[in-house]
Amino acid sequence: MSVSIVPTLRVLTPVGVLLGTVFVGLVFGYWANAAFFPGTAPQQPINFSHRIHAGEFEIPCMYCHTEARRSTSAGVPSISKCVGCHQSVATERPQIRLLMDYWVNKEPIPWIKVHDLPDFVYFPHKRHVQAGVECQTCHGPVETMDVISREAPTEMGLCLTCHKEHQVEFGLDCLTCHK
Amino acid sequence: MSLVGDFLTRWRAYRKPGYIYGDEFDGARRDYDEFDYAWTMTIDLDRCTGCEACVTACQAENNIPIVGATAFAKGRQMQWIRIERYWEGEYPNAKLGFIPMLCQHCDAAPCETVCPVSATYHNQDGLNAQVYNRCIGTRSCAVYCPYEVRYFNYNNPVWDAPLAEQLNPDVTVREKGVMEKCTFCIQRIRQAKDHAKDDGRRRVRDGEVQPACVQTCPAEALIFGDRKDPESRVSISMNDPRAYRVLEELNTDPSVIYLKKVDDNAG
Repeated sequence: MSVSIVPTLRVLTPVGVLLGTVFVGLVFGYWANAAFFPGTAPQQPINFSHRIHAGEFEIPCMYCHTEARRSTSAGVPSISKCVGCHQSVATERPQIRLLMDYWVNKEPIPWIKVHDLPDFVYFPHKRHVQAGVECQTCHGPVETMDVISREAPTEMGLCLTCHKEHQVEFGLDCLTCHK
Repeated sequence: MSLVGDFLTRWRAYRKPGYIYGDEFDGARRDYDEFDYAWTMTIDLDRCTGCEACVTACQAENNIPIVGATAFAKGRQMQWIRIERYWEGEYPNAKLGFIPMLCQHCDAAPCETVCPVSATYHNQDGLNAQVYNRCIGTRSCAVYCPYEVRYFNYNNPVWDAPLAEQLNPDVTVREKGVMEKCTFCIQRIRQAKDHAKDDGRRRVRDGEVQPACVQTCPAEALIFGDRKDPESRVSISMNDPRAYRVLEELNTDPSVIYLKKVDDNAG
């Protein structure tokens, strides 16, 4: 008497198909998140263009992001910085009117963070700016972007490659970046 | 190099990463010969009153979860520093002693050699580092730790409504399945180094770094510093004749040094 495995397989086929579909779905879902596509950019409350400000008018990054050279976070400029120029410049544009609404209502602009590192990473901007690292190394060619998107892969590999290349003292120690 | 000599060097390297191995040894895992800093803490048991201010400070500074009654009953409470109580003698001559117990940052740490994924290792500052992202939660390190100071996250941490607002942004909130322990407040050490660099200094001055427990101790029983600097407060304090290390016979070479309590009524 021989025992065949075929009837068992026949019963298991739908289960197998189901599991396979779920597996493929999980894999696809993992890769198809927003972080995977480098070009995706969130819709910001105001269509601020870095191309016009940093590119055409050549305003230095540090003029608005003043904290980058002396703080861990680069910081988003306060509205008063925007209004400083825009109370006399291009006041009639619709986007500037939007800005002035925030100014009049004394509300902060709810910008959406694009280059958002995970919470377990310690990245002091001041160390890197003082060491002469170009902003574009991690942020991509910001001066050509109308809408900011995440161009450079801000992942561990980028940090380690750069630390290795510049022979940062103890730059490969885990606790240098992980907190 | 002879087979035996090589074996001994390798064994020493395995047991004491960060120490001098000799030039010809190419199996060294680090590119430095000795510690850059050697962070050390001394705890004066004569001053310790067992008030647990250090425990509370640590809890607040390092986002240590409050596990709740059920988990507590299972012995899953987390305290990176805890006060051990010791009763000596019989009533009416009973005496109470306290020993604050925290990660000893052993230079020959048993926990480091057993981690299958190198989530815990010794870094150039003489710190026993724990990398949460690497940890896969085998808990072998906790088994091997003779001081029982490693704590495992059996559950995801939960903070009741207003408490989540007081989390320290400089410290990761560990999730379920990860081992954690005292870091000597690595975030403060890192910050002090950053400030030193801003001032154009290579090294941190003595007293610039204070872990939360040291800062809080009302009796100043805890002293923290770099024992490589012979002038530092901790170096002076660790040369006290009362100094000893807990479970010294295990040769773990701890970085936490206790100063014995002097008993006035003894002998």
